[in-house]
Amino acid sequence: MIGENVKIEGNIISEENLFIEGAVKGSITAKKSEVKVGKSGSLTANISAKVVLIEGSVKGDICGGENVIIANTGNVLGNIDSPRVSLEDGAKFKGSITMDPGEKTVTDLPVSSASKINPHRAGNDPGVKVS
Amino acid sequence: MRKSAALKVEPALSPVLRSNLIGQVFKEVCPEHRLLVLDMGCPSSSTVQFFNQYKCRLSFLDLISAEFLAETSQGANHQELVEYFRASLNIEPDMVADICLFWDIFNYLDGSSLSAFIEALAPHINHRSRGYCLGLLNERNQLPYCQYGIDSQTTLSQAVPLGQQPPVYPHNRRVLTQLLHYFEIDKSRLMPDGRVEYLLCENLLPRPVKPAIF
Repeated sequence: MIGENVKIEGNIISEENLFIEGAVKGSITAKKSEVKVGKSGSLTANISAKVVLIEGSVKGDICGGENVIIANTGNVLGNIDSPRVSLEDGAKFKGSITMDPGEKTVTDLPVSSASKINPHRAGNDPGVKVS
Repeated sequence: MRKSAALKVEPALSPVLRSNLIGQVFKEVCPEHRLLVLDMGCPSSSTVQFFNQYKCRLSFLDLISAEFLAETSQGANHQELVEYFRASLNIEPDMVADICLFWDIFNYLDGSSLSAFIEALAPHINHRSRGYCLGLLNERNQLPYCQYGIDSQTTLSQAVPLGQQPPVYPHNRRVLTQLLHYFEIDKSRLMPDGRVEYLLCENLLPRPVKPAIF
């Protein structure tokens, strides 16, 4: 846990779950673990973790291996990349969300000529971003 | 014509609004491709939840906020407005939007701002792009102050945001058709309270750009 009165500048790499109530400037990587930013947490950092839960404030990009959740007290300015994203009513967010549910992708859409590859759309698949 | 925001007390809004057209914005999408969805409104939990089932990039542009709209009415010229909207879109130059959720933003932009907005968006639209927007049948109808989201392919979520409603500039269908330039109204459906929903697609024979004179 990073307490309310702790300020860190730098890159954090963790093999364990992190609970952040303080201030972090830099980056946080916890590929196999969860990162929770508590209500008093304030981050200017990119976050990469298996599961990310935001209750506080984050300025930076978030990459979730499984899931990203922004709680109703959360405030995020940045882009999110994760298979699943949840945003609670009241949460503040500005940016883009890139989602890919994998095999659960909708497949019952009406069949149309759009199924053909459109070269003009090739730039629409940014791929997975890792911060 | 500018219409002041209403001061009268409105009846409570239902949190869910039935839509006959929202499902049709998905008509041309291909599930194998990553969808690019531009939501001009503020983030909605229902929209995020809905798009969790799609491989997509969902961008919330929050252009309907009072702060943003106030910036567009500061007496800027057409080119300055275009640049302002272009910067606010915050998408890469080569990206084409599959779905544009305009919601009711056109009602909060006067003719000049709306023309500039449509010009700024032009590089990100092609013949497969679909748009969805809400308008008023006529100026006597009151535009509810709402933020919208997609609840399902047949329903929208609607909620009253905090703060005061920005000034409303209702555009009838004829004027809207002119201002939308390369978009055309493919379908429209009247809603029970005088709102009209529009399905937009690219006009393959765009009209020449005419700067708004009001």
